[in-house]
Amino acid sequence: MTYLAVAYFGMLVAIALWTYTVVQRSRRLNQRLESLEVAMSDRFEND
Amino acid sequence: MKQKVGEGLLFFGFAGIASTLVLALLWAPSVSIDAFESPAAQRIFYWHVPAAWAAFIAFGALFVGSAGWLFKRSEVMWRLHTAGAEAGLATGLMTVWSGCVWGAAEWGTPWDWTDVRLNTFGLLTLLAIYLVLGRGSQPDGVETRDTFAAFGLYGFVLVPITYVATRIWSIRHPGPVVGTGDESSINGDMGLVLLLGAISFTVFIIGHIMNSMRVTSLEQRLERLQATMDKVI
Repeated sequence: MTYLAVAYFGMLVAIALWTYTVVQRSRRLNQRLESLEVAMSDRFEND
Repeated sequence: MKQKVGEGLLFFGFAGIASTLVLALLWAPSVSIDAFESPAAQRIFYWHVPAAWAAFIAFGALFVGSAGWLFKRSEVMWRLHTAGAEAGLATGLMTVWSGCVWGAAEWGTPWDWTDVRLNTFGLLTLLAIYLVLGRGSQPDGVETRDTFAAFGLYGFVLVPITYVATRIWSIRHPGPVVGTGDESSINGDMGLVLLLGAISFTVFIIGHIMNSMRVTSLEQRLERLQATMDKVI
């Protein structure tokens, strides 16, 4: 039963890590896009 | 809004999967000691079957996305293709890994090269690995997308073969146990835990597909903005 619990727990940790990676990637990209858009609008305003 | 829905589905799906595991280990009834070499290992079935179900949903998304890109040249369908490939890879690996753990305990070997279902499902997972790694290593373009979409489209033929494999060739992988109507069909508490697992994995994989599609969309927007910025500067 112990090896089964370890296998289950390992799989749960793996999908938690996968989920965390996808969500973080999405948030990071969102932030980069927002800052790039701000930088672009500033530049166009200055021009 | 879509981001919140996607993340909400991920959260509820994950909570459901964790609950399924707790119920599978602590609450689901044991199977007959005479029927299995390793009765305790049978509990991995509550993970293995829903993960395989989620893999079929992911490969279905891959098929629809591939066909949509090839025939309609739709950006949304390309995003569905990439999300389906990523979700298919993750759920495929979960299914293969849990199957190997069970096989090692029950059969004495984690893999049987003569079993049709094991090998066709293994090929599906390899296809997903190829698509995910290939997309990461190749520059994005129509030719690249066409190649990967063709693999996604024709690779889907392995899904129905995998599904019917245990009905046609009874080699090593157990046959169907849900809704068969005979005494080998599961019911009661076992069926309830399996149902919770199937619903949780379905919600979870839909959440993942939505999030992955959003990530691809953001990456494309970022590339376009950076290209515009490069031209201006």
